[in-house]
Amino acid sequence: MIKIQNLSKNFIHLNVLKKVTAEVVRGEVVAILGPSGSGKSTLLRCLNLLEKPTEGQIFINQNDITNSACNIALIRQKIGMVFQQFNLFPHMTVMENLIYAPCQVLKESRQSAIVKAKELLKKVGLLNKASAYPTQLSGGQKQRVAIARALAMEPEVILFDEPTSALDPEMVKEVLEVIKDLAQQKMTMVIVTHEMGFAREAADHIWFLDDGELLEVSTPKEFFKKPKTQRAQQFLEKVL
Amino acid sequence: MIGSILALMKLSSYKAFRIFSNFYTSIFRGTPLLVQLSLIYFALPQLTGYRITAFEAGVLAFSLNSGAYVSEIIRAGIQAVDKGQFEAAAALGIPQHIMMRDIIFPQAIKNILPALVNEFVNLLKESAIISMIGEADLLRRATIIAAEKYIYFEPLLAVGLIYYILVILFSKFATLLEKRLNKSD
Repeated sequence: MIKIQNLSKNFIHLNVLKKVTAEVVRGEVVAILGPSGSGKSTLLRCLNLLEKPTEGQIFINQNDITNSACNIALIRQKIGMVFQQFNLFPHMTVMENLIYAPCQVLKESRQSAIVKAKELLKKVGLLNKASAYPTQLSGGQKQRVAIARALAMEPEVILFDEPTSALDPEMVKEVLEVIKDLAQQKMTMVIVTHEMGFAREAADHIWFLDDGELLEVSTPKEFFKKPKTQRAQQFLEKVL
Repeated sequence: MIGSILALMKLSSYKAFRIFSNFYTSIFRGTPLLVQLSLIYFALPQLTGYRITAFEAGVLAFSLNSGAYVSEIIRAGIQAVDKGQFEAAAALGIPQHIMMRDIIFPQAIKNILPALVNEFVNLLKESAIISMIGEADLLRRATIIAAEKYIYFEPLLAVGLIYYILVILFSKFATLLEKRLNKSD
């Protein structure tokens, strides 16, 4: 469903991504691993064009989103995104955060959006916080709301940009549980993460990125047991 | 009004808009209000033949002038909104103009309000210089009374007091507004 071809991204003097080619199949979970500064987040952010690629192409359901004629707002409706810093809208309640985009962008009726939002809040265990403002929530709760907000658009794929990196350790688990649930329901997801245990457990494929190059695509089993490249081996020695 | 349009132009991706709005600000911020007012009141009729009233000239000069300041205040307020908010809205497929209206502006207004209140208080008080072009504002009336009755203290103090009360009322109103906006904190 997502095809990346020879994707490069340069910031003025820096090649952050070097000719990355990869594919995400519908229903699979991809975990992007690698040392910090390796281009993981940049790669993820290229997938919904928050970052503009310098070269190469990205196809989402056969649509080339790097083509300037492509309506990116339309495509973004189908690509959910969850950020490290949550980025909930602080002036709206949890409920308003969830129904805003479905009502404004998909033109859903307020009523049906609320019904759907309640279901999603129940799913992430926060139905009782519907009328709270984001500042009244803990980090873990905020991130679960952010996931529910992404789900409210009924996306075909969700991108996670280090979803647990800004959380206190005791809140990491509640967020990962929600993501694992989604994986079980065959939601297509691409996740940049530093949680090795989670990647091993939940991912179908690991992409290992170092210095802007996609060095390895393997199953978690292969990757954690015997990585193909030396650099991946060094990386694992450091983090495990 | 002028301020918010200029601010949006400054943040626009079109170079022509940015150049125009920056030029506008540099002119109106870089020259004294009194000079602008005099130009509009005394010099403009010479060019156009239209005899502008002191009131019209005052409104025009104050609007154009404070537009320059307000545009800077609004620009700073919008830029102070967390970049993640723009990204989150974009990632949800929310079109730019709706994003500005519903997501960015309501947050920017909180940053903007205190500086905006400052600007309006300034404006209110500076309206006294309109007496220079003969419009009968508060200060002008006070000096007329003073000249007639040979008393200076009372009328001038009264003028000061009236301005003070106006400003206090306005500030109180602004504080209330600020409290209301902060309810989501």
